[in-house]
Amino acid sequence: MGSRNGAVERAVAQSFLDVSAAEKSFGSATVLGGVDLQVAAGEFVSLLGPSGCGKTTLLRIVAGLLAADRGTIRLDGEDISSKPPHRRDVGVVFQNYALFPHLTVAENVAFGLKARKRAATDIDRTVRQFLELVHLTDFADRSVRALSGGQQQRVAVARALAVRPKLLLLDEPFSALDRKLRETMQIELRRLLRELGTTAVFVTHDQDEALTMSDRIAVMYRGAIEHLATPEEIYRRPATAFALEFVGLSSRLAGTVVANEGSTVTVETAFGPLRAPGNFVTGASVLLAVRPERIRVNAPGDYALVARLRDAVFQGSKIQLHFETDGRDQLMVETADLTDGVPAPGTEMKLGWAVPDTLIYPATA
Amino acid sequence: MTAPAVHTTAPSPWRDPVILLALPAVIYLLVVYAYPLLWLLMKSFIGPAGPTLQPYISFMSDPFNWRVVGNTLRVAAWVTLFCFLIGYPAAFALARAGALVQIVMLVSIILPLSIGAVVKAFAWQIVLRRDGVVSQLLVGLGVWDDPQRLLFTETGLVLGAANIFLPFMILPIYSVVKLIDPRLSEAGATLGATPFYSFAHVTLPLTLPGIVSGVAFVFSMSVSMFVIPSLLIGDRFQTLATLTGRSFLLMRNEQLGSTTAVILLTLAVAIVVGSTWLARRLGGST
Repeated sequence: MGSRNGAVERAVAQSFLDVSAAEKSFGSATVLGGVDLQVAAGEFVSLLGPSGCGKTTLLRIVAGLLAADRGTIRLDGEDISSKPPHRRDVGVVFQNYALFPHLTVAENVAFGLKARKRAATDIDRTVRQFLELVHLTDFADRSVRALSGGQQQRVAVARALAVRPKLLLLDEPFSALDRKLRETMQIELRRLLRELGTTAVFVTHDQDEALTMSDRIAVMYRGAIEHLATPEEIYRRPATAFALEFVGLSSRLAGTVVANEGSTVTVETAFGPLRAPGNFVTGASVLLAVRPERIRVNAPGDYALVARLRDAVFQGSKIQLHFETDGRDQLMVETADLTDGVPAPGTEMKLGWAVPDTLIYPATA
Repeated sequence: MTAPAVHTTAPSPWRDPVILLALPAVIYLLVVYAYPLLWLLMKSFIGPAGPTLQPYISFMSDPFNWRVVGNTLRVAAWVTLFCFLIGYPAAFALARAGALVQIVMLVSIILPLSIGAVVKAFAWQIVLRRDGVVSQLLVGLGVWDDPQRLLFTETGLVLGAANIFLPFMILPIYSVVKLIDPRLSEAGATLGATPFYSFAHVTLPLTLPGIVSGVAFVFSMSVSMFVIPSLLIGDRFQTLATLTGRSFLLMRNEQLGSTTAVILLTLAVAIVVGSTWLARRLGGST
């Protein structure tokens, strides 16, 4: 806990990238509503959210490809808000890679170095070094059109990194790759960026990608950052109901606060009264949530509720149990305790969890 | 067994029935166009006493004819350059415009093609007169002290011809620009390339095929235009095309006409093929 908060504090105190109050509207549609984001040097931060949440807009504003209506962007202590993209020292890996189709692999990687008028021997050496880093040495003289998706993605990464930008932005760079390749590339990219000490901001709508790769995740929704924290924190204590729903699975029960005990409240739900840590006024409509693996089946807990099994999904190392609810609620459990086998639908089961594991949010209409 | 076999190797053009779809066009062009053209052109090589190069020798030995060749190439080069300079940016505007604007622009480019060169050339006569719009504008702006006539000058000819051939420059470049990913310029910028560097090393090489076809179209059309110079500059200024026309229509000198036609054809083909080859080489080495 302490180290995590420490990381966050460090990021804010000596933020390398500092976006403050960035706003952008297209016509009457507000795409970004005053976003703040601080990223520490060497950090890998993901912008995670559904399409249309403003994550790509934010990335394009940082790169200078789009002008913000308001707000400032500081990079390495310098205000770059009004600098053109070619003078920002911010590299971008585009979703479709945007490789130069008329150039070879090596010429693509050399492009930024040549544009910056580096010495020819320096360019040669750097290109060779980066092609090696992405395992494309043998493809140096190939046309980029002749490469597979994964190879093109690696060229795009090598091209962006070869100029050693202060900041690397990645716009869903894995979305066009198949699942297996994507996982390999995620690990490779993370290792490469760590080796080079590159600060990176990564845009994705894929929660697994964000969870496995990031130092911190910014969950974005409707042009705002809902929660910015470590993957663990986001999963354990999502700050908002949206962050809860967008990252990971959860059981969710709607209810009304019937008693306030100071640090905990009692909530009346369709499954009876349940307790949760929090401070809500009596009568408030709330949403209770629990991560499915925190729920114990037929075991003593702080309390228990009884639910009827709707169906059970066998997933190898675990079983997912879905229970009958009255429509809006969702009650699901993941258990690795497979000794009794897969229970039959219709079975009544006792469920329990610890009060501190209960998440509580004000109900959204 | 007439059913087409599954191709295990590259299909031979003679086996592929699709090629037969071109047959009507090929026959039509061969019978009613290529054969008479060849027959006409051959006339320049046949004298009263059999095969001869005499018409070419006498053509070359007349300095007037060299001036005609010069006129032809110079005007065509100016028209092509002018079309390129205003057509290239226009093609980008067209390719990057919104759907509705694009339709309006395309219609305004293509529709005038149906008006015909004669009508347009007459319209330009009005524009280029001493009391025409251009003259009045330049005097009004203080560029010229007195109204001047652009009609029957080379400048007037270039202006008028460029207007008529402009669509043939814009459309092929537009079709290439439309296929270029706008992200490529952005990628260039994020790599530290100035807009000019990105243009020179990304956009220009990628639009080269469109430029080559636009230049080939406009140049070959301007080198052979007949009606436009006749109406905009008159008989005092001869090009290979107008000389060819005069030879057949006025002088009834079929041999001179076919000689100038062969020279015109050779020059046009050589320049178009040569510039295409040059552009491919330049494009390939970028």
